[in-house]
Amino acid sequence: MRRLPVYLLLDISGSMSGEPIQAVNNGIQILHSALRREPQAHEIAYLSVITFESSVKQLIPLTELNDFQPPSLKAGGGTSLGGALDLVTKCAEREVIKNSPDSKGDYKPLVYIMTDGEPTDNPDKYLPAFKAYKWGVVVACAAGSGANTAMLQKIAGENVLALDVCDSSSIAAYFKYVSSSIVVSSKRVDAGGEPGSVSELPPPPPEISLIKF
Amino acid sequence: MSKAKSANIVTVTSPTDGSTVRFVYEDPKQGGVKDVYFDPNKQYAVAFFRKKLDFNGKERINRLVGPYRQSIFEREGGDYWKPLFRWPEKVVEYDGRTGIVLPFYEKHFFFGPKTSLAGAEKEGYWFASAKNFNKSVPPEEKGALLGFLQVCLNLSRATKRLHAAGLAHSDLSYKNCLIDPTSGSACIIDIDGLVVPSLFPPDVVGTRDFIAPEVVATMHLRSDDKNRVLPTRSTDLHALAVLIYIYLFHRHPLRGSKFYSVDTDVQETHEMGQDALFVEHPTDASNRVRIEANDQPFLPWIDTAKNPYKIMGPYLKELFDQAFVKGLHQPNLRPTADDWENALVKTLDMIQPCSNPKCVKKWFVFDNTSKPSCPYCGTPFSGILPVLDFYSSRDGKSFRADNHRLMVFPNQYLYQWHVDRNVFPNERITDEQKKAVGYFIFHQDKWLFVNQTLQTLKDLTRDKMIPPKSYVELTEGLQLHLSNAPSGRLARVILVKA
Repeated sequence: MRRLPVYLLLDISGSMSGEPIQAVNNGIQILHSALRREPQAHEIAYLSVITFESSVKQLIPLTELNDFQPPSLKAGGGTSLGGALDLVTKCAEREVIKNSPDSKGDYKPLVYIMTDGEPTDNPDKYLPAFKAYKWGVVVACAAGSGANTAMLQKIAGENVLALDVCDSSSIAAYFKYVSSSIVVSSKRVDAGGEPGSVSELPPPPPEISLIKF
Repeated sequence: MSKAKSANIVTVTSPTDGSTVRFVYEDPKQGGVKDVYFDPNKQYAVAFFRKKLDFNGKERINRLVGPYRQSIFEREGGDYWKPLFRWPEKVVEYDGRTGIVLPFYEKHFFFGPKTSLAGAEKEGYWFASAKNFNKSVPPEEKGALLGFLQVCLNLSRATKRLHAAGLAHSDLSYKNCLIDPTSGSACIIDIDGLVVPSLFPPDVVGTRDFIAPEVVATMHLRSDDKNRVLPTRSTDLHALAVLIYIYLFHRHPLRGSKFYSVDTDVQETHEMGQDALFVEHPTDASNRVRIEANDQPFLPWIDTAKNPYKIMGPYLKELFDQAFVKGLHQPNLRPTADDWENALVKTLDMIQPCSNPKCVKKWFVFDNTSKPSCPYCGTPFSGILPVLDFYSSRDGKSFRADNHRLMVFPNQYLYQWHVDRNVFPNERITDEQKKAVGYFIFHQDKWLFVNQTLQTLKDLTRDKMIPPKSYVELTEGLQLHLSNAPSGRLARVILVKA
């Protein structure tokens, strides 16, 4: 049966310590329990968590919701956003099943990136390969004013969300948004193909502003 | 329009009927096109369209809450339809947006408070998907085959009513209906996209899994292209057939193993569009479901060899053939909602309780063989199974088979619609006709029919009247004339010994 792979790319650099990282942990839990209450998402969504600080790690490979254990993340280190793009591309190439005569292919994966600061590596290096992969939706969230929104726009096009401040209520709102967005994608309301931009997903809650050009 | 705001509770006046509408204006539940708020007492919901409605959109909902609502609910027999639809009651305007007031769901459409899904809505998809049905739906909410057949019957009736009113739903799917297999109830919930041919065109193409092949195949064309096929009553009939198949088997009738492209979008266009092929097509096996390594949570339901569609009995098998073999690419051949209602009523007369208390479906449809067994758990039927075949007459002398049989089980009832060919269990049935006229019991190794109210029941075999409050033993070949009215039926008894 086809799966809907969802990659959460989370910045756990030093600047996220304290309230923000706790809010992220809480957000993942809320996301997980919200998805379990939505029948389509419950059936097809598979979650993976990729964290980035000075190093990059796929903390949780694509996992069925029933088996997913929300992690307890700790913050510290730099912001290897480029490394995260590289890793998610490699993970998707390895984990996402392509449609073939022998197997039902997965739906195009969804990517949700959240970062609060300036990348400490060179994301441009990994951008072409990331862009070449056929993602369903890529959404980037600039948490607070320190994030490099210009870089996020290069990654996610118009799907860049901005949190004015990086506090627990805006992070919670972001995860609520991610959850509605995954639910809508799992239902794929209008069937005219896979969702491609934020305008087809539910509108962001008031705490989040959608950067428009 | 008056507006008054206190805390987050908003009070507005509905232009539909001048009534007051209140709702808590925060933290909406977000659907595909609407934001839903609730009144403080949870008696009704107010759903606002996120996008501004154009003239047509407003006119459509005004007609929905006005003339269409009246024509279905505010005439004799209107109450019959109320539980089957969550029909918009009135229009409201607030904050520059248009909204509709909707009745709150009935209690049985929420998972019970002591279950793992406590408080969640019983959206059809929970039961449609094999994996959810196996692993997520709490055991006490799984219902039985009997309840699923009743759910399908209710959905057929609701669709029939819309179509009789000249309307098409345009987006029938497991997300637009709530179902409760424990009580057999179903309710169609997203009515606001209704299509009125030539007046209000469809604004959605439907939901993946339910879009008719001719719509999928022409989706790439512009909406004003004359070859583009848009949702109509005949595409509703495809969706209805898919919905019934999905609820009865927990799998999709067209999603098999046939490969078209590495690109999932292209694959979708083929498998749901011009190349759509029934997974159980009797002569073309190229789209059979292939069980893959990660399919364990979906078993046994997706295994068509284990649960072939013919286990639903001859009436439904014929309609599935008509819907997915003959009518899949020929919309005019699809079974109507009326056809489904008839077949489901007859099928409900063919079910037997499974004697295995742990059986997941608890009932099964008798397969017309002499050695019946439950297809779900394999438990064979043992004992004597009486079968009544019904015949009716146009001239009072010769009786012809009605192609309708009743499988008897202990404490089963006989109804007026078995007795009289002019009575059918639909919206026209009276309360008096809903009452049982007699029942069947197995007593001291004999099957008996106990007559409660049939005034002219006659045992033709023994040429003897069976007055109310007396019984007749069911024996092989027994002929019972159920009523001497011109439309009265004759029942012939067969005893299956297994």
